[in-house]
Amino acid sequence: MKTLWDLFIAFFRASNFSFGGGPAAIPLVQAEVVNKYKWLTNEEFSDILAISNSLPAPIATKLAGVIGYRVKGLLGATVAVIGVFLPTTLIVVFLGGIIINYADSPALQAMLKGVRPVVAVLLAQTAISMGIKALKDKPAWCLAIIALIIMLFFPSVHPAFLVVISMLLGYFLFKK
Amino acid sequence: MLTDLWNLFIAFLRASNLGFGGGPAIIPLIQAEAVERYQWMTNTEFTDAIAVANALPGPIATKIASYIGYKVASWPGVIVAIAATILPTIIILIILGNLLVKYSKSEGLKAMLTGVRPIITALLVVVAYEMAVEAFQINEFIDFFTVVIAIGAAAGLYFWKAHPVLLIVLSMVAGYLIF
Repeated sequence: MKTLWDLFIAFFRASNFSFGGGPAAIPLVQAEVVNKYKWLTNEEFSDILAISNSLPAPIATKLAGVIGYRVKGLLGATVAVIGVFLPTTLIVVFLGGIIINYADSPALQAMLKGVRPVVAVLLAQTAISMGIKALKDKPAWCLAIIALIIMLFFPSVHPAFLVVISMLLGYFLFKK
Repeated sequence: MLTDLWNLFIAFLRASNLGFGGGPAIIPLIQAEAVERYQWMTNTEFTDAIAVANALPGPIATKIASYIGYKVASWPGVIVAIAATILPTIIILIILGNLLVKYSKSEGLKAMLTGVRPIITALLVVVAYEMAVEAFQINEFIDFFTVVIAIGAAAGLYFWKAHPVLLIVLSMVAGYLIF
């Protein structure tokens, strides 16, 4: 029961304080499940992120589903997913009409402007903590740099494609 | 009523499960379904829905699903639209996740994961870069405070191990006061 409540709170916090859509929630989910509740190691989180990224649909609910299931089975998955979407769903349905009037308000725009640099810093911090674990030798650095170049200069290449190719390459490069 | 629910289910199933690249990639697909195909709303109403969704935290796709689902078929509509958006991939992922745990000792899988981790790092670097471009649009002097906020947040993370949620709340207050 305690674990279910923790799952709900963890994903409630991670999702409902993330501005900027799914990717903005990634560092917050990491802070909850790796740093605070220690349900996963950084490597496990990174692996789950990898398979989640190679499938469609919103990233936050995918992470909630998989991690919730890992921690506490189907019930855990349900509770975590509800924590992600229920609060904003209720707000959208009950207050949607009111929010439209405020969506362009200078105060809200000012707050969003203040929060965006923090979102960028949090994502950079997640990238660094993953990089420390992932980039242990030269072949790994090469893979990362090649992927970076492809993503920056050929944005039409789908990330799922890179994920699948890198797994195949990993199989041949790193298998002992 | 049942036809509406079925249409909602199909519309959000298609939009969400063909939308690779997270929430923002899904927006044009939902628009194609809700405005052009099923004509549940005009383009202007759809733009309003996006505005509401963007003003709130959390994943964008489930917020739009709630908005349109409620408009078309009240609460059953909300449930059907959200279920269609998130359930299929979660089920696939749980199955994949189980396989991952089951074979976690296998050398082949370990090698594949070693290969994929640098790519996930690169993906996050790109997302962080895109967010930074959006965050640091410097047009006038006051915009330099975005950099100050970023440095403050980085310092908070490294020196005080501040919880990210705290940083987010503080930065919104700072944004309100400064901009």
